[in-house]
Amino acid sequence: MSILVNEGLWLLDNNIDPYVGGAFRHSPLLLSLFSTIVPPLPIIWALSDAVGAWALLRIWRARQGLSSLKGTGSDVENLIVSVYVPSAYFEYAPNAPHSYLLNPYLLLPSLALSTSTFENTLTLLALMFASEGKVSPALLAIAFAVHLTPSSILLLLPILMVLLSSPVSHLASPRPFHGNLKRIPFLFGEFTLYWLVLVGAACIIAGGSWNWVRASWGASLMLPDLTPNPGLWWYFFTEMFDHFRPFFLMVFSVHLVIYILPICIKFQHDPLYAAFLLVGVLGTFKAYLTLADPGLFLSMISLFPEVHGYLRHPIITTLLHLHAALLLPLQHVLWVSEGRGNANFYYAASLVMGMAGGAGLVDACWAGMRIAVGDAKVGAEEKVEGKGKVMWEVVQQ
Amino acid sequence: MDRIRGFLMRPRRPGANVARLRRRKQLAAYLHRNLTKLTSALFIIGYAWMLLIPIPLLSRGTYIDENALQPAQVNTYWNWGNVHTADLQLYQLDGIRERNFTSEQRAEFFRTEFSKLGLAASIQNYTFSTSKGTISGNNAYAVMSSPRAAGTEAMVISASWLSTAGHGALNLRGISTVLSLAAFLKDYSLWAKDIIFIISDDYLHGMHAWLNAYHGTIPSNLHTDPLEHTSGVIWTALNIDYSSHSFSHLGVFHEGLNGRLPNQDLINSFRLISHYTGGVPMTVYDHLEPSDAVDRLPEQSVFPSWVPPFIQQSPQLQQYGYRVRNVIRHIGYQARGMCSGVHGLMHQFRIDAITLFAVPADGPHGFHALGKIVESTLRTMNNLLERLHASFFFYILTSPGTFMKIGMFLPSAILVSVAMLFKGLGEWVTAGWVCEMSEASLKGNETEKPSPAKGTWRNRRRPLLSALIVVVATHVLGVLVFNLICSRWFAKYPSFLAPAIFVAVSVIPPILLPLLSTNAPEAAPTSMLLKSSNLCLASTVISIMSLLNFSLAAMLAITMGVPLATSYTSSSTMTTHLRYAGYCMLAWGWLVLVPGEVESAIWNWEVLGVWFAPFICIVYAPLVMQAAIVCLQGS
Repeated sequence: MSILVNEGLWLLDNNIDPYVGGAFRHSPLLLSLFSTIVPPLPIIWALSDAVGAWALLRIWRARQGLSSLKGTGSDVENLIVSVYVPSAYFEYAPNAPHSYLLNPYLLLPSLALSTSTFENTLTLLALMFASEGKVSPALLAIAFAVHLTPSSILLLLPILMVLLSSPVSHLASPRPFHGNLKRIPFLFGEFTLYWLVLVGAACIIAGGSWNWVRASWGASLMLPDLTPNPGLWWYFFTEMFDHFRPFFLMVFSVHLVIYILPICIKFQHDPLYAAFLLVGVLGTFKAYLTLADPGLFLSMISLFPEVHGYLRHPIITTLLHLHAALLLPLQHVLWVSEGRGNANFYYAASLVMGMAGGAGLVDACWAGMRIAVGDAKVGAEEKVEGKGKVMWEVVQQ
Repeated sequence: MDRIRGFLMRPRRPGANVARLRRRKQLAAYLHRNLTKLTSALFIIGYAWMLLIPIPLLSRGTYIDENALQPAQVNTYWNWGNVHTADLQLYQLDGIRERNFTSEQRAEFFRTEFSKLGLAASIQNYTFSTSKGTISGNNAYAVMSSPRAAGTEAMVISASWLSTAGHGALNLRGISTVLSLAAFLKDYSLWAKDIIFIISDDYLHGMHAWLNAYHGTIPSNLHTDPLEHTSGVIWTALNIDYSSHSFSHLGVFHEGLNGRLPNQDLINSFRLISHYTGGVPMTVYDHLEPSDAVDRLPEQSVFPSWVPPFIQQSPQLQQYGYRVRNVIRHIGYQARGMCSGVHGLMHQFRIDAITLFAVPADGPHGFHALGKIVESTLRTMNNLLERLHASFFFYILTSPGTFMKIGMFLPSAILVSVAMLFKGLGEWVTAGWVCEMSEASLKGNETEKPSPAKGTWRNRRRPLLSALIVVVATHVLGVLVFNLICSRWFAKYPSFLAPAIFVAVSVIPPILLPLLSTNAPEAAPTSMLLKSSNLCLASTVISIMSLLNFSLAAMLAITMGVPLATSYTSSSTMTTHLRYAGYCMLAWGWLVLVPGEVESAIWNWEVLGVWFAPFICIVYAPLVMQAAIVCLQGS
């Protein structure tokens, strides 16, 4: 959050180590960016969003097999069509950037000057470079993303897979992974190199001390700050006895990692889709969730128009998100400002958020696998007992 | 162990998954076939539950939840000497009334009286600017520093110049109670919290200006100087309303702005103190319980006069009727976001406050009982170590000693909202399918009505764009109307503008509708998609609102539930137009039918910040208008 960045800047200005005292939890790189290169002006966030939208567009082009230099003649038309995000969600959404810029979950954190905007942009940039086959930029971008939020490590494997195969959609025609697996250690080595350089730079900037590791990366593993957020972690750990804490911290962290292999194996024919699903996992189960995390998942749906027809319950997901988006601020006011409610109120709202994220994720998973089965052209004449019956027979087939 | 291993290693039946899928399919088909029955049942249960809210079975007895309160456990020192002081104050106040003092003169008098006691007293001048002109007044207040603590917390005793009783009744006895209590309370050293005495001008806006100045939240339309004397955080407040000669009961008014209620512990403590310390029975509002009302005038009876006597005399029905009155009064305040007294302005600042209303009667109580009760209640409030938090914030007080928990009334509105949601989802599913007649069966006999059984079910697209344009356009129209009725023009010519706006908002949709691009013939019709989104949105609004303000949610469930669920496109032009007119009446009819309510809602929005008026214009009316447009689209 920007307040925290400002806090860190203030501490730095006053010659106090920002990483002592638990007020500041960002990487030294971010701190030095805002203290020496540019002040934290709103225009930076606008630029970052613009870059994110541009990256989304390039990913879409790469996935469709279009050249990135091809004309943008259809963009105006697409802007009109996909002006409204939910409509883009239900409907065929040919182009992505508008669903990124107009998604309220992404717009609001940017207006609030949240650093999650930068994390999203870095994730999208990594996916973009990977889709375009640019190895080093992709690995550098994901190294940056992992440096800022360690949980982005979930996306590393699918990004390597995209680099080794192609971003073009193979959802409808699954096949075994055909890339050269022998390159993986080299790519991983390159990633580690970038990551180590970033760590070294951060250490130098932080004055040679390692305090920042515990304060910034440690936060998402140790959960020292239980300030309410839309995620699912904070309430569990406010309620928990201290002697269970280490065990459940381990369980919650491992739970995130556990999704990588199954999703990457199941969607080995289309690693970009695997990355998309892992973004959805992060947007539901991450520690210190912000609205921008589920927002990125929702906006990325527009990259995969081929699965839209196979989503089973998009309207339910939309309604859950609508309820969550209304309940979260309302319950927060009832609890924190008015004092009529209590923590359980807000937690109930964040559970609705979790259900919405889960519903979207499960549906995307289903649709990604369902598309491979193809359309069953079964006439409804066979069973004609009643109208509703027939209808549902067809729905389920 | 072997059995477990055997269970885990058992051979999978090949058809198990198919059977599971088939079961699921059958369940879904069953639900969809019976959707109408299911939603009707939900509607009926929801509405029936609303009718059952006042029955005694659903209520439970009140109890004190916060142990620190210790109500009615102290000896009181208020005596007949203090009553004499109050009588002398009343004599002076009568003089003020007879000499028609201006607001400034009155405030100056109160300030002098407080200063004579040695309290830090001052006057606050304020001016509100509204679309109908400006309102100004003067509040007098005094702060008594706590002898025992640093003054980080405070309690408030207040009285407004006008009484809740209405008809211009002056709250003279309430004010003399506050003045004499100020003289009495400062002699004791047991106060751990500062006590603030406020005599606010007029009825509501005086206290509103004072509270905003105290908390530094001065809105743009209020002009006032910062307060001269301040104190700590105000936790609890009592507002005294005593306008008649004497009283028989003390009525509690508790509804605050925007549907907020005070913590129930305050009301429950007051009830015990009033009963045991003062010997005065407490009532809810000024409604007397049936057992107390036997010798009262007929207009205070629970039932109207035309009800047959055998019903009037049945104790169960009398009890039910009494609770119905309480619940309806409560819903009347809460649904409109109005406060039932001066106390209601304080809830938004997290102050738990109630108004004590002296129910007019020929006797037997007066200053003596009231002083003792207030003193003892202040002692109870003085005991608090943290804000009132233990007891309930969401409740309906059905009688002085019984209340309903949220779980006992919330489901009624939620069930209606769920029924609407199911209806909307069912409409969405239906919109995705179309039955096509095969050529052969059509040629076979053209006279026969096409039946779904003979056709082929085909998937069709559901482009939401045109439905969403309608949704957005109606809400934008609502914003425009809201800005219009808050303007100076509307305040000046309401009798001309209200019907004009009504006609305009009713005529604009049919004129603009042909401009809307309709969905292609092979896609789902816009009206079905509009109805589906309309029902889903309305259901969301009701279920979210039920947490914030149950009464408003219940009203919305009644006005929007069945009407929105039964909007359909009719083939006959006559029926279409009649239905459209009906929906317009439901959406915007209040503009013409209840001008008084419109005026008070606007005043409440501009001065007190009650969001009932914007909610009706921007959320409720557009939702109903969408149902009206559904009816239009078929023709």
